[in-house]
Amino acid sequence: MPSKQAHIRKQLVAYSFIAPNFIGFAVFTLVPIVFAVALAFLYWDGSNPIEWAGLANFRDLLDDDQFKAALKNTIVYTAGTVPLTLISSLFLAVLLNQGIKGRNFFRTVSFFPYVASLVAVAAVWNMIFNPSKGPVNMLLYTLGFENVPGWAADKDWAMITIILFSVWKYMGYYMIIYLAGLQGINPELYEAANLDGTNAWQRFRYVTVPQLSATTFFVMVMLTIQCFKVYDIVYMVTQGGPGTATLVLVYDIYNKAFISWNLGSASAVAMVLFALVLIVTLIQFRGNRKLQ
Amino acid sequence: MKKVLTIVLVLSLVFTSVFAAGTKETAAQASAGETTLKWALWDIASTTYYEPLIKAYEAKNPNVKIEMLDLGSADFMTMLQTQLSGGDSSIDVVTIKDIPGYNNLVKRNLLLNLNDKIKSEGVDLSLYGGTTDQISVDSKLYGIPFRSDFWIVYYNKDVFDKAGVAYPDNDMTFAEYDALARKMTSGVGANKVYGAHYHTWRSAVQLFGILDGKNTIVGGTYDFLKPYYQMVLNQQKDGVVQDYATLKTSSTHYSGVFYNNSVAMMNMGSWFIATLIDQIDQGKTEVKNWGLAKYPHAEGIPAGTTLGTITSLGVSNASKKQDAAFDFVKFVTGPEGAEIIAKTGTIPAIKNAQVVEIIAAKPGFPTDQASRDALQVAKTYLEMPLHERAGEIEVVLNQVHDEIMTNNISVDAGIVKMNDQIQKILAK
Repeated sequence: MPSKQAHIRKQLVAYSFIAPNFIGFAVFTLVPIVFAVALAFLYWDGSNPIEWAGLANFRDLLDDDQFKAALKNTIVYTAGTVPLTLISSLFLAVLLNQGIKGRNFFRTVSFFPYVASLVAVAAVWNMIFNPSKGPVNMLLYTLGFENVPGWAADKDWAMITIILFSVWKYMGYYMIIYLAGLQGINPELYEAANLDGTNAWQRFRYVTVPQLSATTFFVMVMLTIQCFKVYDIVYMVTQGGPGTATLVLVYDIYNKAFISWNLGSASAVAMVLFALVLIVTLIQFRGNRKLQ
Repeated sequence: MKKVLTIVLVLSLVFTSVFAAGTKETAAQASAGETTLKWALWDIASTTYYEPLIKAYEAKNPNVKIEMLDLGSADFMTMLQTQLSGGDSSIDVVTIKDIPGYNNLVKRNLLLNLNDKIKSEGVDLSLYGGTTDQISVDSKLYGIPFRSDFWIVYYNKDVFDKAGVAYPDNDMTFAEYDALARKMTSGVGANKVYGAHYHTWRSAVQLFGILDGKNTIVGGTYDFLKPYYQMVLNQQKDGVVQDYATLKTSSTHYSGVFYNNSVAMMNMGSWFIATLIDQIDQGKTEVKNWGLAKYPHAEGIPAGTTLGTITSLGVSNASKKQDAAFDFVKFVTGPEGAEIIAKTGTIPAIKNAQVVEIIAAKPGFPTDQASRDALQVAKTYLEMPLHERAGEIEVVLNQVHDEIMTNNISVDAGIVKMNDQIQKILAK
């Protein structure tokens, strides 16, 4: 008997250690998530009684110009940002894994955009890329370009501006992850490759890349999810404009929830976003399993 | 030992959850005999009239304390609505910043219907120049205006003197205003002077169109905006005004543009008067001499027709001290409050000759008669009238304004887009 009592006591101790964390999670994450799922099928403005909507919130999205623009922009943004960030962070990592002079300095420089305050950095970025007074366009003028891009103020360039900004901001972080991956590669593999008389490109292609496949997979999944959820960068650089050129799904969710106070509709968009992320991640997992 | 640890941990968990819910209630309760009212507002640091209003009221009512709750200016109405929807009963007096936000609060039953109190306390609504009618919902009033701002033209006298051009007068048609702006444009590089300035808000351009009284911004057809967009886009193309895209991407504030002597005229709300006087007084600007002129108007419309915004005070429906809260609202929105507000250079909702005198007499206000006369308004149209779907409509209007002003869409295509999307919203 005493052993059973002791067992219960032991369990209680364990649960009480988990409790603070779990209660926080339940109150601030789990319950709101469940509520958000339910809201997608309801009409609610935040105060008046909740009404049943069925699938109406989703049906309305089919004819919603804001949502359609946001969905397209989010996909374009993700499709642009993920591969570019992946390639540039890998490139940086391979470069800064060499025994070059001032390696640590350059590593810090590359990591800096990630830790710098987004608000400050976005303001600087907007100044540099200012369409009429910015140094980038000044330089392009002096180089003889006539039709310089309008960057964040041009609907065709705004998304490119946001993508470039994101790549620049994120690549330092993923470079660190790639660096860790590179350090984990057994040097004997390179020695063996050298003995086989391979050149640098072949060693990169047939040793480094396959050895990094697990890291690449991790980076790709994290990046994809991060890109689908983008809001802060868009808010700081273009506010979704010009027009709806850079309006993304999370921005649309904010507008629907806190400008129009249409919480059901906002939750429906959130569910679409969730489904999108889920499907893409599942495809990535399946692709990765095939590769292994 | 272990047992003790378990008990302590479990107990601490229970206690924290109990206290988390409990402390708020006790904090809101005041000591015996004294009522504390909480007033939700924004920008305490940069708003000059909160303090004198509170001081004057507390002097009259020694047993009442007014506590300010600053919810920030950018998302004030969203913050307020979220707080009140969450059942926060600690807020008693509510500032209403804009009409769409007011409409949202009323629709959600978060504001007290003031009709009975207005009647029993004998508040004279005729003092408010019709503004109370503009915010009545089914002839019920949920807030009383205490500020009533309107748009005027600020001009830099030194810039005009240097160019040898007469100051803008109080009766400009749009054509005259456009011609004057073009005449005042000169120089290049650091010496560039722009004839006029439009801030990036859509109201600075779009709302020229509603001044004839025939059109509204929530009507669903926007063809009437065409001549005004054309005028402003041409000014932009000819370098008469700064480029919208540059202003937007650099988040340039309108005050900075006016302070550094680079614009001759600027359209802005009357709220800028108090700030401008204050900044000149502190020596933070290069502008020394400035004046005011009435807003430009369409042909055949009387001078002094302009846009207005109303800022009101209401009482939270969840407040437990509604009578005390209303008494404070009555004070701030009444003649005494109006005088205090006017002394800070801000336009109160009660706008009689005396109030205009007080503002014009404030040190730093232009001394010429024309600038004083500019404060006399013939007719104001609300920047955003009371409308159920104001929030959603505004999202589309802002987006298309952005597209037109950055030349990403033609004026015609932009108007078609507004018509299509807003009619869809109205049909819901």
